Amino acid sequence: MTDVRTLLRSGLVYLDGGMGTLLQKQGMKPGEAPERWGLAHRETIRAIHKAYFDAGSHIVMANTFGVNPVRYNADTMAIMVKTAVEDAQEASKASTAPQKKFIALDLGPTGQLLKPFGPLGFEVAVSSFAQVVKLAVKAGVDCVAIETMNDSQETRAALLAVKENSDLPVLICNAYGSDGKLMSGATPEAMVAMLEGLGADAIGVNCSYGPETMAPVVARYIACASVPVICKPNAGLPSVVDGKTMYDVDTASFAASMRGIAESGVRILGGCCGTDPTYIESLVQQTHDITPSPIQAKHTMVIASRSHALVLGEKPVIIGERINPTGKKRFRQALVENDMGYILAEGIAQEERGADALDVNVGAPGIDETAMLPRVTEELQAVTDLPLQLDTANPAAMEAALRVYNGKAMINSVNGSEASMSAVFPLMKKYGGVAVALTLDEAGIPATAEGRLAIAERILARAEAEGIDRRDLVFDPLTMTVSADTQAARITLEALRLIHEKTGCGTVLGVSNVSFGLPAREVIGSAFLTMALEHGLSAAIMNPKSDAMLGAFRSFLTLNGMDPNCGEYISFATNLPAPQATAAQVQASTPKEAASQGKGLRYAVSKGLCAEAGRLAAADLDAGRDPLALVQEEIIPALDDVGKGFEAKTLFLPQLMMSAEAAEAAFREVKARAAANPAMQRCAVVLATVKGDVHDIGKNIVKLLLENYGYQVTDLGRDVSPEAVLDAVVRLHAPLCGLSALMTTTVPAMRDTIELIHREAPWCKVMVGGAVLTEAYAQEIGADAYAKDAMAAVRCAEALTG
Amino acid sequence: MSALHEAAFPPAPIQREEALRYAMQPRSADGSGIPQMDECIRMAEGRISCRAVWREYPLIWGKNSLDLGFAKTDSKALIRHLAGCDCIVLFAATAGMEMERLILRAKAISPLHGLCMHAIGAAIIEEACDRLCRQLAEKYPNAVLRSRFSPGYGDLPLAMQKDVFAALDCEKRLGLTLTDTLLMQPSKSVTAIVGIETRQT
Repeated sequence: MTDVRTLLRSGLVYLDGGMGTLLQKQGMKPGEAPERWGLAHRETIRAIHKAYFDAGSHIVMANTFGVNPVRYNADTMAIMVKTAVEDAQEASKASTAPQKKFIALDLGPTGQLLKPFGPLGFEVAVSSFAQVVKLAVKAGVDCVAIETMNDSQETRAALLAVKENSDLPVLICNAYGSDGKLMSGATPEAMVAMLEGLGADAIGVNCSYGPETMAPVVARYIACASVPVICKPNAGLPSVVDGKTMYDVDTASFAASMRGIAESGVRILGGCCGTDPTYIESLVQQTHDITPSPIQAKHTMVIASRSHALVLGEKPVIIGERINPTGKKRFRQALVENDMGYILAEGIAQEERGADALDVNVGAPGIDETAMLPRVTEELQAVTDLPLQLDTANPAAMEAALRVYNGKAMINSVNGSEASMSAVFPLMKKYGGVAVALTLDEAGIPATAEGRLAIAERILARAEAEGIDRRDLVFDPLTMTVSADTQAARITLEALRLIHEKTGCGTVLGVSNVSFGLPAREVIGSAFLTMALEHGLSAAIMNPKSDAMLGAFRSFLTLNGMDPNCGEYISFATNLPAPQATAAQVQASTPKEAASQGKGLRYAVSKGLCAEAGRLAAADLDAGRDPLALVQEEIIPALDDVGKGFEAKTLFLPQLMMSAEAAEAAFREVKARAAANPAMQRCAVVLATVKGDVHDIGKNIVKLLLENYGYQVTDLGRDVSPEAVLDAVVRLHAPLCGLSALMTTTVPAMRDTIELIHREAPWCKVMVGGAVLTEAYAQEIGADAYAKDAMAAVRCAEALTG
Repeated sequence: MSALHEAAFPPAPIQREEALRYAMQPRSADGSGIPQMDECIRMAEGRISCRAVWREYPLIWGKNSLDLGFAKTDSKALIRHLAGCDCIVLFAATAGMEMERLILRAKAISPLHGLCMHAIGAAIIEEACDRLCRQLAEKYPNAVLRSRFSPGYGDLPLAMQKDVFAALDCEKRLGLTLTDTLLMQPSKSVTAIVGIETRQT
């Protein structure tokens, strides 16, 4: 018996056309849900399905597009899926058309955005889709079509749900904007890398626009896809003629355009909004004589972020190494304190310096990597466009991070030991990814280049035997410290060359290791980087914030003709600090001199000069000034000046915050020298934006100011449940809690939170703020105080906690 | 019922003054020395396209109520606002996910960057709404367009957002979603009613 997988590989495959637009013609109102309407109009649904089969469709999608637990309860979903699949099956039986006929479960978007931009958690999305998939398996569908998805992460959630709950073939169609991207920002190349990695059987585009507009996006799929490509466009754009909605591409021109698309290599064809069985009939007539182009594996070495694909092995790339707590006290502290801001800023800074990807390592004593690595992965992906290299030796942490990683990740690492390969290869098979393969095994690191090549070849053979593409491995011949063994660098470079030449695979090195134990590490490190690049290095794990390292990298590309017009080198060089200017600046403004000109620390803080405030505080403290005196005589008076100016409306929010951030920079220097100065520490405060609300700009401002004034702030973030707020209040025995809400609809959640705290933690006072609140409203919901702005929050805190 | 129209607004120069105003800096104050605002404008400049969908509805006037074509209301404020109009344009517009990402990114740099980017987002979407309304004015040359009125203004319930979303197919057309608490995501989005009053000739 033919199954869908065989069908997909055996010739042109025809899908069905529009459903929603046809139902509207049959009387369904706009905004009405087709899956609900279908329950009461089963004959109509069956007739439409049958007409598509009669027109030549191989695969017809059951009327389940909007069925998901976000919209319906379990019983309703069960009835909807069963009814929809039965109707499609009966239509299949009733049609006498000769082609093979199959039924697909149709999975559309949930209608909710995923975190961090919306309320839907990734695993909740996966299990929502899983519920529908299980129902469809029971109902006996032949395959699953995930379609009209405009968010890559939601597409992933649906695909994982199918893979984990069935062995059904999966066809995936995404809806692109006129800019050639998904609404979530992904390019076709990023989607191909991601979806092939996750094991989709066919991928492509649907809905959006007419065939001509979609053709450029489809062409990009064909250029990089190794699985059959789908095109299921609309009949153009809707318009109204004589009170009826019409689409501007008619049956004949639709079929003519689709013929061109089929000739260009698309093997799976259908229609979406505005198309009906006549479109499909004409499509079949116009294209059935085409011999489809063969499905060719492209063997591209590619990783992808949530937005774009990064091809490895052509032009060398930089993988930023800074997100790693090894040897960084401040970073370990950030992990322990859940200080995501510090970690994210480190990622952004490396991106701005030109990193192509970011290594992410959160392994440190006392850190639960299995929880932390996926969290950092999600948060980083929200703020950076770069692909990530997930760096952990813990397979559970690796899997947790791969699950949420939106794209095709780099996996750091696997090695030649049985334990490592049997842990990592299954993860690569399930989630996709390019693995960094270390040339070591149970016996350790071979002392010779040939020994490392032998391990590389063994890893490669084993991976290919397990069905992993050789292009999904990059080899790391291991940088050893040259101060411990003067031959170490030579051997690594030789191994690099051998692996590059003999296997044709990509290579990667953590270049910084070479200089451990030597002075002026960047000097020798950058020379080693240049040599490694000359030996064929594809990716350098390095510090892009180092001018010496980045300079060596940029110079190599420029000297190798990989930098048109020397543009990248010039832009790097123009941003180098001018040596004379720096010296002059330092000379001109020692703290004493600056103070004598009326431009000391107090001035810097009150004017919001961040870098200057940090520098002056550091210089002052290093010159022996008492930290407490510095705080009390410079920083606090400056903050008070600005605070009063803000209250008197001579200064405004941006200036208030500039000062607060400058004060923070100065405080950092104080803390670095006098870690725990009890004189500056005030009580613990728990801050949160209440459940259902995601507007946290105001809360973040309050946090900054409270910290300036010495409060120990625990920030729970946004959309925080009453229980989570209470937990933190109890855990810290916090005497004060601050809650924010922007919307009238989220004030009830604020009231619930206040009630819970007052009942269960009666020692804790609650202050509230946010756009919809007033003094009276705050009283009505039981708050102890209302803060109209951030400065008022500081005053409230002082009044409530004494 | 009339057709659903789509409109796209490519990136326009970011209005620094407007952005500062949304960051709570009044126009009267000197806003020159806020480098964070300039950094954020550089980050966002040219990157944000806005999109909108709109549909025209006839108005059916009741005694103390009004049938808007996509929902019925007894909001006194809206009834007063639309007095004399014979139809409305209902629209939804969004600065999209890219704006959300820029805001998150800016928040990760510093709270002030977060405030500035949030304000830039507000300036961008409001500017797009202005552009849409100018387009509408051209489409209705013989009419006077009233100012925008959104669910949540005055006594018009925010819950009307659900009707707006259904009427304009916001999820599919704009990638816009509505939470249980009636928040729109992406957050830099606007839905509004524009009253159309045909000029007496």
